[in-house]
Amino acid sequence: MKLSAVQADAMQELGNIGAAHAATTLSQMIGSPVHMSVPAIKAVDISELGKYMGEESAAMVAFELQGEIPHGGFVIFYITRQSAIRLTNTMLGLTDMNRPMNEMDESALLEVGNIMVSAFLDATAELLGFVMLPSPPAMTIDMVHAAMSTLIASMGDEVNEVLLFSTELTCEEHKIDSDIIMMPESNTLAHIVELMEKMMKPA
Amino acid sequence: MIGIGEYRVGSFPMMTIGLGSCIGLTLYDESLKAGAMVHIMLPDSSGRTDRPGKYADTAIPLLLNELSKLGSRKGSSIVAKMAGGACMFEYFGANLNIGERNAERVKNILKDHGIKLVAEDCGGKVGRSVTFIPSNHGKFTIRRADGTTCDL
Repeated sequence: MKLSAVQADAMQELGNIGAAHAATTLSQMIGSPVHMSVPAIKAVDISELGKYMGEESAAMVAFELQGEIPHGGFVIFYITRQSAIRLTNTMLGLTDMNRPMNEMDESALLEVGNIMVSAFLDATAELLGFVMLPSPPAMTIDMVHAAMSTLIASMGDEVNEVLLFSTELTCEEHKIDSDIIMMPESNTLAHIVELMEKMMKPA
Repeated sequence: MIGIGEYRVGSFPMMTIGLGSCIGLTLYDESLKAGAMVHIMLPDSSGRTDRPGKYADTAIPLLLNELSKLGSRKGSSIVAKMAGGACMFEYFGANLNIGERNAERVKNILKDHGIKLVAEDCGGKVGRSVTFIPSNHGKFTIRRADGTTCDL
């Protein structure tokens, strides 16, 4: 679906509110300020996914959107491998940057993703009055393109383009770069846009 | 670079990156020193024709047809190699068996067309990128996220 300028603004605002809550939880967990970017909206044809997401390795914690519309798409907490190590080091009180990732890192990242995405979805649900429940999290630390294309493949046979709503969350003190990415399925997106438009209409 | 659902045919080097549940399939004809590569995303087209490279059931006939245009004869020396079909996320249950279903479908269709699958690296939980060099006897190299490579 193509978004009009007004609809894109509305979705940006929604992403803004969700990401702000996620940023607050991240900031509390690491005890440092976290900055967030303006949410970006990208319409990506599946054949061009490689232009946005490549072979670089990152940790991604993915949640399927469930609730009123089943299989509603995904919300993903994305963090580069280097940042992931810095984040878990900060949380676990470690300093060695060149160590391999272990199970402790993975469960810490899973938990961080869980808390942040829950905050993101709670905030958007409250605003919309529309419940999007996250599935249990699933995580991979691998090529970004491989992970994202697998999620897109599970969204249905007819999907040729996806809309990505992504907000960058960064912590300067610990040099942590991460993203919260929402990739709604088209029915869910249409429903969210409808709710946002209703909300913005003068009463 | 070959994106999801795209394909190329010829003797030049070809590459596709970040295969998760998708399949990177190559067909190579030694007599032509040429081949074809496709990045398949799903097993069944269910009658869709807009992106034949995206689905296993439409991609393979498409590649065979393109190769025959280059002069490949029926029953000639075409051989197949494939990689991908991984399960990147373990906890999502049914809908993430796509990788396995993709690999199975591709193998069945190759068999239906009498094409020999000479090498494969499928399944597991890892992402893969593939480079295919038809002019070098169909050299097929896989690269993983940790930087390790292997030739099939």
